[in-house]
Amino acid sequence: MQDDNQARAIEPGYLTQDVTKVPGWHGLVAWDLLFNNLTTGLFLFAAVGELARPGLLGPVARLAYPVALVLLLTDLVMLVADLGDPLRFHHMLRVFKPSSPMSLGTWSLTIYSLPLTLIVAIEAAQFIGWLPSESQALEWMRWSAVVFCLLPAFGSLAYKGVLFSTSSQPGWKDARWLGGWMASSALTLGCAELLAISILTGHPRAAAALRTVAAVLVVLNLIPTGLVFLELRPTLSRIYRDQQVYLALAFILVGGTLVPVVLLLAGDGAPWRLGAVLLIVLGGFAVRLLLLKIPHASHESRTGARALESVRRAVPG
Amino acid sequence: MGIRELELTDLPQTSDPPVGLLASIVNRLTWPFRYGHVEPRPSTGFYTDTTVCIGCKSCEVACKQWNQLAADGLEWTGNSYDNTAELSATSWRHVKFIEQFAANGQSAGHDTTATHELTIDQLVNGGGAGRWLMMSDVCKHCISAPCQHACPTGAIIYNEFANVYIQRDICNGCSYCIAACPFGVITRSDFDGHSHKCTLCYDRQKDGLVPACAKACPTASIQFGPIDELRERARNRVKELHARGVTGAYLYGEEPTESYSALHSFYLLVDRPAVYGLPDAPFNPWLHMLADYGRTIASALATIAVILSLLFLQRL
Ligand code: SF4
Repeated sequence: MQDDNQARAIEPGYLTQDVTKVPGWHGLVAWDLLFNNLTTGLFLFAAVGELARPGLLGPVARLAYPVALVLLLTDLVMLVADLGDPLRFHHMLRVFKPSSPMSLGTWSLTIYSLPLTLIVAIEAAQFIGWLPSESQALEWMRWSAVVFCLLPAFGSLAYKGVLFSTSSQPGWKDARWLGGWMASSALTLGCAELLAISILTGHPRAAAALRTVAAVLVVLNLIPTGLVFLELRPTLSRIYRDQQVYLALAFILVGGTLVPVVLLLAGDGAPWRLGAVLLIVLGGFAVRLLLLKIPHASHESRTGARALESVRRAVPG
Repeated sequence: MGIRELELTDLPQTSDPPVGLLASIVNRLTWPFRYGHVEPRPSTGFYTDTTVCIGCKSCEVACKQWNQLAADGLEWTGNSYDNTAELSATSWRHVKFIEQFAANGQSAGHDTTATHELTIDQLVNGGGAGRWLMMSDVCKHCISAPCQHACPTGAIIYNEFANVYIQRDICNGCSYCIAACPFGVITRSDFDGHSHKCTLCYDRQKDGLVPACAKACPTASIQFGPIDELRERARNRVKELHARGVTGAYLYGEEPTESYSALHSFYLLVDRPAVYGLPDAPFNPWLHMLADYGRTIASALATIAVILSLLFLQRL
């Protein structure tokens, strides 16, 4: 029985709670983030590569577009499935509201999907012989579609990070470089994907060029990663113990950067390079999952702290 | 008579005549043009004077009753008399309780936090050196509302009373409004998957009625009316409280700040906002959206420049 002379434990009001509500964005959205960046990164890298060095990257780029389309469709399925009412997905297209990153993103993804489908349709029809493979007009149409697709693909890539940073959630709201990091990371992922495609389809010249580019991009990506980390630092320190933060940092530096770079530059043979690509993609997913979890973790850490405080008060000493 | 009003079967019932698919599509497409323009009406809002709130929760009950909101289930939170815990898809009003009492007879400075412990002695003897703070929380109906900026479907609008209103037939539950709201108001319902929050009793206002919570509040802690009148009334109340020695009284959200617009549901508080579970300095995330896009574009272009340089430098 409680001693009446003992100060009674009460909850400490609202001071220790997160004011904001956590949106119900869970693991599915981390996959959406990854697939969005995989498709847009791959398309942009392939298109820029094809336009800049058609002789070197043109043949691989042609193989990359169908992959980008499959990744896009996977991403769209996740976007729709994550809605509270998936059957109302098309309501996203009843207004165009550039002030909302989500509206801009939905429109960008929709427009991006159209020329990309056209590119893949032309290639598929040529492959199965329904269309002539040497037609100037078709090549011009395909080329126009690639060029037209650049802008919506860029929009589809750019909106994601800004959507998260333009919010009131702990951590995300402070991450001014989140969009910048995501853009750089998506292009790195795109390069890694194209490298994997060139290795798997037997394009050694393209693979040799892409391996150096991938290694440089992985290292350069540390700059926006560092900037985002500095912005998130206060929130991460509040949520996690120092050891946890350092462990995550070491994981990003070693697992997602150092090992892939060593494998890319020193590894001799396809398995090493494919291993590097896998690590880059897995590392990218892990960072996106961590970012996505920040508001959830913040909320849980506050709740945990409150529960501990209650126990401490209820059981003095 | 009040009961009879609720017996809908006694009222003449009308329903739309059945329509075919084509007529329904034509109707949907032409409705926005036939609906016409809605004339703006004087802006309305809530002024909540927390100094007279007695924590009776009439507002919560009236809101649930009028809006036909389901019960959330009862959970003992251990946080004073607050077992509502938070605003939710089915709780659009939330009465908060803050106990500010010093432990074991120490004096509780009123500017201190609510983390003091309460003894039975103090409780029985009228609280001694402490005080209760109570506040009925609700959507702030921000003049420049982040939830409205965020909404990609156009479901969240400002209605003719300049209140922030969710059109429930349009929302598709993307949850961006939840991420955007700095006050933690909007919630997605597990039941229908859509976002919900206070409508400021739009339906009642259209019929010239006062919102249910303001109507039910027995101490006039929740006051409803044209926003300019409310602001005037609130400023006078602050002056009155200052004259009576409550020097800590001030208005929250009545005027815009550098980082946030004014609120159409504003508060008279006597402690710092965080004590009531409100952000001390609310920030509209849209203030840095363009710069964030700028950084994103700069980063992407820099990366593409590096890619092009490397591709051209390699003589393969
Ligand atoms: S308080 Fe939140 S939900 Fe209410 S209008 Fe402002 S941003 Fe929207």
